[in-house]
Amino acid sequence: MKALRFAASIAIVAGILALYRTALPVNNTTVALSLLLAILAISARWGLTEATVASVAAVLGFNYWFLPPVGTLTIQDPQNWVALLVFLATAVTASQLSARARRRAAEAEARRQEIERLYTLVQAMMLTGNARKTIREFVHTVVKVFGCVAAAFYYRPTEEFFRSGPESGAVSNHELLAAAEIDEVSMDPPRAVALAPVRLGGRPLGSMTLIGSLPSAQMVRAIVNLIAITIEKARALEEASHAEAARQGEVLKSALLDSLAHDIKTPLTSIKAAVTSLLGNSAAADNELLTIINEETDRLNQLAAEVIEMARIEAGKLHLEKQPVAVAELISGALADLAPAIQNRPVRVRVPDGLPAAEADHDFAMQVVKHFVENALKYTPEGSPIDISAELKNGKIVIGVADRGPGIEENERVRIFEKFYRGRRHRFDTKGTGMGLAIAKGIVEAHGERLWVESEPGQGAAFYFSLAASAGGRHT
Amino acid sequence: MSAGKILVVDDDPQIRRVMKATLVGHNYEVIEARTGEDALEKTSQEMPNLVLLDMNMPGMGGLETCRALRAGSDIPVIILSVRNSEKDKVAALDAGADDYVTKPFSIEELLARIRAALRRTSPEGGPQAFHSEDLEIDFQSRRVHAGGKDVRLTPKEFELLRCLVAHAGKPVTHREMLQAVWGPDYGDEPEYLRVFVNQLRKKIEANPAKPKYIVTEPWVGYRFAGSTEG
Repeated sequence: MKALRFAASIAIVAGILALYRTALPVNNTTVALSLLLAILAISARWGLTEATVASVAAVLGFNYWFLPPVGTLTIQDPQNWVALLVFLATAVTASQLSARARRRAAEAEARRQEIERLYTLVQAMMLTGNARKTIREFVHTVVKVFGCVAAAFYYRPTEEFFRSGPESGAVSNHELLAAAEIDEVSMDPPRAVALAPVRLGGRPLGSMTLIGSLPSAQMVRAIVNLIAITIEKARALEEASHAEAARQGEVLKSALLDSLAHDIKTPLTSIKAAVTSLLGNSAAADNELLTIINEETDRLNQLAAEVIEMARIEAGKLHLEKQPVAVAELISGALADLAPAIQNRPVRVRVPDGLPAAEADHDFAMQVVKHFVENALKYTPEGSPIDISAELKNGKIVIGVADRGPGIEENERVRIFEKFYRGRRHRFDTKGTGMGLAIAKGIVEAHGERLWVESEPGQGAAFYFSLAASAGGRHT
Repeated sequence: MSAGKILVVDDDPQIRRVMKATLVGHNYEVIEARTGEDALEKTSQEMPNLVLLDMNMPGMGGLETCRALRAGSDIPVIILSVRNSEKDKVAALDAGADDYVTKPFSIEELLARIRAALRRTSPEGGPQAFHSEDLEIDFQSRRVHAGGKDVRLTPKEFELLRCLVAHAGKPVTHREMLQAVWGPDYGDEPEYLRVFVNQLRKKIEANPAKPKYIVTEPWVGYRFAGSTEG
């Protein structure tokens, strides 16, 4: 290719010389200017080396055929020496200038093309709400748009490698891993490989390689910046759609549980109202049967409430509204709700003066106390006392309910907080759903606190739960 | 003679049936409504003495119905609901309800609540009137004039004010107030007082955030501070 151009350059010079020598006799200046014009054309079209070769050929030919003594390479007149040197210098300088202009134009064209490709790449990046899919598409598109042989991407958050093109094996996974740790773009023209880290605001996302005809280092940087932003956008979109789906699921679950509660309690309301109305003016014989219906309605209601509560806890649907709560009020509220059941029980409550308020959801925390007391009522004989206490321990408020029942054996102390678990000895003789303690556990854990049991078999059991002390420092 | 006319509002027909049978058996006259819209119409046509209002109804819910009722009258309203959290109770009372009963309930409990809501303490024995520069109360004619305007109080708000003024200058405990205003079966509903005292303050205090007349006595109750001027 190059040799052909040299030959052509010399041929052009020879052609001009021959033309003026034989067909068109003109003065020497015209010959020199014509040669200069040809050399400029050559340099503009092919480059500096071809133009230089043509210049030397032109000087020699001009000297031989036109400068006296014609037919030799010698020059007699010193003026002609000067003219010849000026001609050579002009030819070479002009060639250089035109070659530089040509190179500039070529560079500008290359840059224009790269920018056009980058733009194509941007347009090709359809925004999907999936980071991995986005990367896969991006790698394919880069190969296509930039005319590379292959490309590969290492995505650090999931430790995955995405490759496009059969030649992408030229850069190993190991090299990609290493590139993710380095700050600069590395260009390796002999291997035709470019490696660049992918970062977003200093946070490493992985690395990328291009193999084959390489764009400029600047362009590689632009490409990796583009993919960093694209991934981040895809991730944000992905997270937003996940959050939205989760929220809708939660709303649905909550609505379902609410309507379930309503649907179960509505018929119970009719039954309860009807039976209590009948109880008010019934004959003694019917009274016993109506009382049974009434009690069982209450039990069914309690069961429904606890099943729904358990479902709410398991669905993570407890909405706590934490506020400073007076512990004494929690306990008295729970006892007021249980008033008929604790009529025949000595209940002792000990809450020290100056105990700080607890940071808790009032209704739910009261339920925990209630479940503890109900549990004590269930497992201890009629008339046996119940002690309720509250104290400040290591910055936490600890509320305890102690009974004098049969106690709980070591191997049962964890299992009693499981759903539906009942003490071995009481499996068949105790009322209730077996969910009270599991619900208490769910509530306490939703507060980020803990509950536990201490027991001396034969002496009784004491259930405790902790609550954060309110920072507001309101005292009970 | 009937003990009073009660409007039962519930979307469940079985509940309406059982309420009608029971309340009629206790000498009340009963009218029914299936929806909140229906309830508003029946209230203006039939002028019941009390409304039993279901909280969870399709369309116009119980709370909205209660607010709409309150906008036009001071008829006693008892909300019935399957929810029993304090938040729901406060929301119902805030909407203007006089009382809140959790479903399922025993009829005895409901009857007690109905009697309490219908009860009007007789003006004898209580204070006759209260006067100060920006508050005038006439307990005989049940009229209140505050900040230069006539103020309309619901019956429960009025009873609460009467209870406080009767003990002006002295703290009244939560339990005393609940029993004086709602009846002897009450006493463990401090949230009722929070809501009603707030509403009273909004109506009669120049600055409800810094009450001049109805003062909170922490951990005890409330006190009417106005005896010296009265």
